[in-house]
Amino acid sequence: MAELVANIALSHAPGLTGWLDQAPKDEADRLVAGFEEIGRRFRATKPDLIIGLANDHCLNMPVDGVHDFCVGTAPRWQGPADWFSDWLNVPPYKVSGHAEASAIIRDRLQGAGFDATDSQDLLFDDNWSVPLLYLTPDYDVALVPIHMNCIVPPLISPEKCYAAGQLLAKVIREDLPDGLRVAIMGTGGLSHDPGGPKYFEVDEEFDRWFLSLLEAGDSQTMLREATIERMGAAGDGGTTELLSWLIPMGAADGVAATTVCYEPSVALRCGMGAVHWQMAA
Amino acid sequence: MGIKNVKPDLASNRLVFDIRRDTGLMDDFHQDMDAVFARYGLTDAEVEAWKELNIQALGDLGVHPYFLPQISRIFKGGAYNHNNSEAAQLYAKTMVEQG
Repeated sequence: MAELVANIALSHAPGLTGWLDQAPKDEADRLVAGFEEIGRRFRATKPDLIIGLANDHCLNMPVDGVHDFCVGTAPRWQGPADWFSDWLNVPPYKVSGHAEASAIIRDRLQGAGFDATDSQDLLFDDNWSVPLLYLTPDYDVALVPIHMNCIVPPLISPEKCYAAGQLLAKVIREDLPDGLRVAIMGTGGLSHDPGGPKYFEVDEEFDRWFLSLLEAGDSQTMLREATIERMGAAGDGGTTELLSWLIPMGAADGVAATTVCYEPSVALRCGMGAVHWQMAA
Repeated sequence: MGIKNVKPDLASNRLVFDIRRDTGLMDDFHQDMDAVFARYGLTDAEVEAWKELNIQALGDLGVHPYFLPQISRIFKGGAYNHNNSEAAQLYAKTMVEQG
């Protein structure tokens, strides 16, 4: 029996590492403090393994060949992919995978009827490169990267994402290797619109509403009102990355989240936030 | 325009998908754009939009929105991609100011 010791969600916009000095200093200072704080809280749980959920950004799954989930099953990963190096301004890194856990997760997702494939050859962009820098700066926690299709219709529903989170919590408890300390990390969002007319805007009202539902642990309202359409209205090209946040919310299953930080950062072209759910010891 | 209006089998979508994954293809593109367009079978309208750096037109043709800022970075570079960077401003020129 493994244990879910950390359950978090956070943004991964590339500006956090690529051009943070363009943000107003007080905003940049709060962002760094917030992301360092989620990192401290994450590392305090001493996780052995991160099950990560993030938008693939059509980097590994082509527009005409997407799946809801693609589970990375390699024993070792590296990033960022070449073309993203100067954009992200992060040093090259390597991080362990977990072949056994990833195979189990893939099998359980498929067994439950989810559209899940796998790959041993995933390229990483901002999806993992930005959050890992703050969560595991020594890259010493293994990662099972689960790439999601968050931007090519038809998208997985919020209800299915929540159910996937419930399933992952069960898989951790019942199927992963004994003694393994596991973290779930959803990453993406909040409001942003790469490729749309709101590219240089942030929908703060939407972001704060979404965070308030997480803070209330109100899954019923979340699943009823945080629809694909509502997310898309806050930024058609990227806000649906918040589907990845509904997975740790499902794993928490009623536990209220705590917002660690939020900044509506026009300079980073993204509503930037981080939340965590306190899991029982 | 928008994710609902993407044409998944559009040649430009395959080109952007591949070019970000393959530095050799990126080099080929910058050396001989026409040869790469021909290899991927882009339509005349796609080629015209690429050559004019018309991001909005590429979106209208069915390129995935997420790829549009990346196309601006293919031409203008990705480093230090702040709002006033050349890449962001190329995007803004057609997508925001004229959109």
